Amino acid sequence: MKWFSNRIRLALLIVAAFLLLVGAAALVSGADAAKPPQPVAQPASQDKPSNDYCLGCHGQTNLTKTLPSGETLSLYINPTLFHEGVHNQENIACVDCHTNISTFPHPAFKANTIRDVTLQLYTSCKNCHADQYNKTLDSVHQKALAAGNFNAAVCTDCHNPHQQTRLTDQQTGALLPQARVSIPQTCARCHSTIYNTYKDSVHGAALTTGNPDVPTCIDCHGVHNIQDPTTARFRNDTPLLCAKCHTNPAIMDKYGISTQVLNTYVADFHGTTVTLFEQVSPDTPTNKPVCTDCHGVHDISNVNNPATGIAIKQNLLVKCQRCHPNVTTASFTDAWMNHYVASPTEYPLVYYVNLFYKILIPAVIGGMLIFVISDIVRRVVEARKGAQH
Amino acid sequence: MPEKKPAPVQTRTYVRFSFTDRLQHLLMLLSFTTLAITGLVQEYSLSSISISIVRLWGGIENIRTTHHVAATVLMLIAIYHLLNFGYKMFVLRQRMTMLPGIQDIKDAWFAFTYNIGLGKSRPQMGRYTFEEKAEYWALVWGTLIMGITGFMMWNPIATIRFLPGDFIPAAKAAHGAEAVLAVLAIIVWHMYGVHLKRFNKSMWTGRLTEEEMLHEHPLELADIKAGVARPTTEASALRKRQMVYYPVAGVLGAAMLFAVYGFVNGEQTAITTVPPQAPTIAVYVPETPTPLPPTPTPSPTPLPTATATASASTTTIATESATAAANLTWADVGPIFAAKCGQCHSAAVASNGLNLSTYADAMKGAQDGPVIVPNDAANSKLVQIQSAGGHFGQLSTDELAKVEAWINAGALEK
Repeated sequence: MKWFSNRIRLALLIVAAFLLLVGAAALVSGADAAKPPQPVAQPASQDKPSNDYCLGCHGQTNLTKTLPSGETLSLYINPTLFHEGVHNQENIACVDCHTNISTFPHPAFKANTIRDVTLQLYTSCKNCHADQYNKTLDSVHQKALAAGNFNAAVCTDCHNPHQQTRLTDQQTGALLPQARVSIPQTCARCHSTIYNTYKDSVHGAALTTGNPDVPTCIDCHGVHNIQDPTTARFRNDTPLLCAKCHTNPAIMDKYGISTQVLNTYVADFHGTTVTLFEQVSPDTPTNKPVCTDCHGVHDISNVNNPATGIAIKQNLLVKCQRCHPNVTTASFTDAWMNHYVASPTEYPLVYYVNLFYKILIPAVIGGMLIFVISDIVRRVVEARKGAQH
Repeated sequence: MPEKKPAPVQTRTYVRFSFTDRLQHLLMLLSFTTLAITGLVQEYSLSSISISIVRLWGGIENIRTTHHVAATVLMLIAIYHLLNFGYKMFVLRQRMTMLPGIQDIKDAWFAFTYNIGLGKSRPQMGRYTFEEKAEYWALVWGTLIMGITGFMMWNPIATIRFLPGDFIPAAKAAHGAEAVLAVLAIIVWHMYGVHLKRFNKSMWTGRLTEEEMLHEHPLELADIKAGVARPTTEASALRKRQMVYYPVAGVLGAAMLFAVYGFVNGEQTAITTVPPQAPTIAVYVPETPTPLPPTPTPSPTPLPTATATASASTTTIATESATAAANLTWADVGPIFAAKCGQCHSAAVASNGLNLSTYADAMKGAQDGPVIVPNDAANSKLVQIQSAGGHFGQLSTDELAKVEAWINAGALEK
């Protein structure tokens, strides 16, 4: 008994030391890097039926169940795709996720609909992917699910666990290029209308050519903890969201796009207002436009596109009229500086007004200061003289 | 000045500002300060002080409303000031002591040269010194600029009917810069001139002592003493002028008030604009048809590993079944069992005790008894379970028919 408890103590010490190391490694690697899945303790592998044992039946395409709803549930797992999947390659056994099954016949499983099956089983993911799973608990999908919308996406809707290939680089945690390109198609499974808009946008079209600089869905909406994009907070945050890339010269210089877009927006009436809302009352809606009100959301196009680009005044005027319906002339679009910094060539009137005051203010105030100081000096001198008398 | 008993020099006072002068000053002080605070936080909106003030004020929209109210107050003061000026000029026919002239430039020069030790004495000045005139006319200039540029920003749509669009951002630039100039001028010039140099209370008390008059407005004091500071008008002439001026001032005042009303209320759409239309996107539009695995039509898929060959022979057997219904042996059904049942009902696994890998084991049955009753397919448990359907290793109809035929033919090994 004493020998046994010593062994346990030793084992605990080793486990504790391991956890410390893992924790330290996680701290060093940075909180944002995708953490590798942390599997829970599993029984020794010889106790588990092999994946091929399960595929013996589940590799058959005609393996189905008719559910009480009348739906036909396919129990088929494509063996080829399964073998290519990251789970199989990491030697994850079927029963590591389907933990209540160890052999045939399987324990009873009750589900009325196919969706019901998914919703009963997807929580297995948290056993290894606790980080990602916990993030989803804060997502708009999970909130919709909790509110009774069973269509809301859960883990397995985006990541088919039987076929999912590797998404991130094991060393860096960065998304693999191919995984990045296919993200919009994943979201399209439920958001096909938005996807169809996006894929024709300046960003979406570039993504399909493999351009790594353009945003996919998750660059704006996040991943796992996806937030409701219709809130005032999301709207007020939009300029900073776009600015993440659009103020980065490393990306923008390649395409000759100005990185002054945020500065010039914030300096303008609309941008000042939105920025102050974002700073002071992020949850209060404002009717002043954010980037997406003029540039579009999923249908963002090149500003020089003759049909939709808002560098063309008539196209921008339409956007202005959404909030200023009384406007009829395109010259109104010049009432905002179109992201230009005033210069002798762009908005010269503004430039020369600024120049005028750059000279006038120091001249007037400087002149005043000279006189005031001379007056002070004189009065001090006189007071001293007076005191001597 | 009524000649009562002459007061001692220190206590004898002279009227400098009337009550309405002082009231104008007070209202302007309040509106100017309010405009400066609520305006500068917009000019420097991202500084932490500005953000704190905006938060204190309850948000930028409140700041703007306050700014607009203060601007309106200032415009009303300006109207009153103009009408009051007209009264003083056309009815009272007072001297225009605020008008700047060459003498003011001379005074300024002499004051400066005296300060730097080049002059013998300070210049002697009248009712309004050059400092006061500079400040007054700076205020007039500033109010004009702020009013015009403020109008452009408040009413951009009306403005661009007459001017190019870039006048709006230019107006904004001028409005902000002029504000900075005005505030700095107040801090440097006004603060020094009437608070620091000598605390001048006359804008509150309305009066200056004789000594103060002597120091600061000696020429005016001289005029007062000479009785020429204010024109004396007969009451009847005064009334006559008033009869002319009041209607004119009434019309002018009404016109100006109407202009201010238009200024303030002309363009509501630019201020309380149409709320942003939330994009009406159908969010949940799943791709159709929802991708499902292939439907379970009988299409034998090659199974992984060892069973692949067995399954291939199943196909052959199934095609032959029609012609060779009789004389079925284990050689005919064994491969079917191996392919469809072998994963579970193998020697290694023998799920539920049933092993279908050899003839002998198959006839032995499951742990609860035989599953094959020779010559009686209907009573064979294997057939019963398979006929019910939904078994994991579900035989196709053809395969099941062949197994049944084999059992009914005696379930022979050879």
